Amino acid sequence: MTITKASDLVMIDRRVTLKWLMGAMAAGQLAACGDAAKGVTWAEMEAIKAKGYGTDPDFNNTAAPWPLTMTQAELVAASGLADIILPAEGDYLAPSKLGVPAFINEWVSAPYPDQHKDRVLIINGLAWLDQESRTRFGAIFASAEAAAQKTLLDEIAFKDKVKPGLEKSAEFFNRFRSLTLGAYYTTPEGWTEIGYIGNQPGTGDYPGPTPEAAAHIKGVIEGMGMKYTAP
Amino acid sequence: MTPDEPHDAVVVGSGAGGAMAAWVLTKAGASVLMLEAGRDYSPDESPMLNMAMDAPLRGVSTPDKRFGYYDATVDGGWDMPGEPYTMAEGSEFMWWRSRMLGGRTNHWARNSFRMGEYDFKPKTRDGLGFDWPVSYDDMAPWYDKTEKLVGVYGSNDGLENHPNAGPGVLHTPPKFRVWETFLKAGGDAINIPVVAARRAILTKQIDERSPCYWASACGRGCSIGAAFQTTTSLIPWARATGKLTIATGAMVYEVILDASGKATGVRYIDKATGSHKEAKGRVVVVAASTGETARILLNSKPNGRSEGLANSSGQVGRNLMDTVGSNVSAYFPQLEGRPRYNEDGAMGLHAYIPFWDYKRIQSGEVDTPRGYHVEIGGSFGDPGMGVGSGLDGYGSSLRADVKRRYGSRIGFTQRGEMIPNANSYCSIDTETKDKFGIPVLKFNFAWSDHEMKQVKHFQASMKELIDKLGGTLVSEPAEPDKAISKGGEIIHEVGTCRMGSDAKDSVTNQFGKTWDIDNLYLTDGSIFASKAHKNPTITIMTLAMRSADNIATRLRTGEL
Repeated sequence: MTITKASDLVMIDRRVTLKWLMGAMAAGQLAACGDAAKGVTWAEMEAIKAKGYGTDPDFNNTAAPWPLTMTQAELVAASGLADIILPAEGDYLAPSKLGVPAFINEWVSAPYPDQHKDRVLIINGLAWLDQESRTRFGAIFASAEAAAQKTLLDEIAFKDKVKPGLEKSAEFFNRFRSLTLGAYYTTPEGWTEIGYIGNQPGTGDYPGPTPEAAAHIKGVIEGMGMKYTAP
Repeated sequence: MTPDEPHDAVVVGSGAGGAMAAWVLTKAGASVLMLEAGRDYSPDESPMLNMAMDAPLRGVSTPDKRFGYYDATVDGGWDMPGEPYTMAEGSEFMWWRSRMLGGRTNHWARNSFRMGEYDFKPKTRDGLGFDWPVSYDDMAPWYDKTEKLVGVYGSNDGLENHPNAGPGVLHTPPKFRVWETFLKAGGDAINIPVVAARRAILTKQIDERSPCYWASACGRGCSIGAAFQTTTSLIPWARATGKLTIATGAMVYEVILDASGKATGVRYIDKATGSHKEAKGRVVVVAASTGETARILLNSKPNGRSEGLANSSGQVGRNLMDTVGSNVSAYFPQLEGRPRYNEDGAMGLHAYIPFWDYKRIQSGEVDTPRGYHVEIGGSFGDPGMGVGSGLDGYGSSLRADVKRRYGSRIGFTQRGEMIPNANSYCSIDTETKDKFGIPVLKFNFAWSDHEMKQVKHFQASMKELIDKLGGTLVSEPAEPDKAISKGGEIIHEVGTCRMGSDAKDSVTNQFGKTWDIDNLYLTDGSIFASKAHKNPTITIMTLAMRSADNIATRLRTGEL
């Protein structure tokens, strides 16, 4: 089933969510939520045992070989969070429409050490986000009111304004934001938006800057009192 | 011919040194058996235009592929399953292996800076390190021949210790991109040169190889032949002579001597069957890489001699050097929001900063004895997983920030000279064997104060340049001992079988011929007498061409 609306998924995944809640309680995470999160270490997780793509992968079959591990509830939370990090705007699609949650799933499920570190941060972080939202606003993060979502994110999303005690949550957010941006701007849509127009083989000499780009940098350099040398 | 038949020459390795030797020898009419530990490979396999999004994890580095999913290196890296190496307590060293036909030439950055007159006679100049048995003047014609064959773009700027190439040698370099022009303006203002880089990339057609088409990261391997690698040039050319036999999956572990002390060939493990085999030749050329060549010599113990082969000087394994590396990067508000255009270009350096401060070293104003160059990276490149790094907040302002910041960050990478020291060497770890049962290398490695001072010089100079251009450091550079790369991390290790003028303190003569065994030659980075800041590959190939020419003459005259 394709995830389109977070609210749909809340219904579908009640059992998953419940299961998570019980697991989280067992892990002692609930006590660590909210203001009580001060100084808490997030639960370590077992390393993924699946095989990587190996030292000589087959470029004709580039799909990641490892099984995906995120639960539906985690995907809902990831989707909701990504779409607030980069909200749809005009022609620009929301991250959930460009496969970003699926990419996060591939990332945190990968059997490599860097990804394992992110997995611990992100899976715990998404659980924290939902629990915090539930405790304070009575709904999981993805289906909370926009104002509630903003209240929560404002406590963790700005590096100089992290609410004391939420440093770990801020670390999670920072990493999640990086993954979201990376996943988003590596798509054709992301290339168009950001203005990457390479990966186009050409013939003859490299053309260099366009007249507009050259004129612009000439203005910049001369404006700084330095000498411009035409390429 | 088959690998079991005796050849004129047995060449161990198919990278820069091995493939050059094989081509020169086969062209001269000699039959050559090339032994490669890895598998057969051709860059026709390269996914040259695949997008990051088609790769697992958007193609980022993983322990399976250290330079990312699409990197040409297969079955290689700093850590290879079943092929360990060890380190002495307190030492850290990273040993890169590339087990594939063509070796590291399949993925190198193609940066090809000639060594200059100072670089060949460092000890004469400042009393440190070791002089080469050749001068730049001896080498210049060989550089010309090699560069002409390889195809190198660049310009002749007549700079101190950065020699010009001969007339008609260099290909026209690609135009500077906007951010390179910007850096040049800043550099001009404070007398730091920013000039065209030299890279082994064609910008015009030669033989069957096409010029660069201005896309595709060179590290993926270049199936059109524009970016030089031995698998699209020297190896197919040598094959075309009909004189080359290649055995892949052949893990060489020792050189065989006869009763008279001449080399008769090598022993190797055929990885497909696990059987031990012998390859015979009139001359043995080892170009297995700086680490592996030393390992083969040290593991060869004729008549039980514990010091290994060709080691009467005691220098085999000693003098291990790598390039000094460190980084600084900065955002330049003046580059924000600039007009977009295709900045892929040759995908690597169009411009670079050659070392410029020789005069102040000479006068004593600068306290680091040796130089470095700076490789620079910016561009509207393929936005990878690092896009938007350092940004804050969320929502539509974040979207705007990503766009505004794109193409306004420039990275400065130091590539500097290391002076050989007594604490940096490799030896055989008699306790540990690899999966083939071959005793492994143990590394000792330490930078000295010279390198630390050089890092300081780099950091201060780049800060001055960044300031001049109104940039902001991404982060304040760490103290040199934290900022400096680990030994082996830059993958320019050289020096373990240095050449010299005297058999007492060197392993080979100026032609890579070991002093102890008349028909045993080394043609890889192991023979470097010093590690100039210049990336070693073009010099490895130049030395290999010169040495192979010497071997060819001696084969022809019957001396060998």
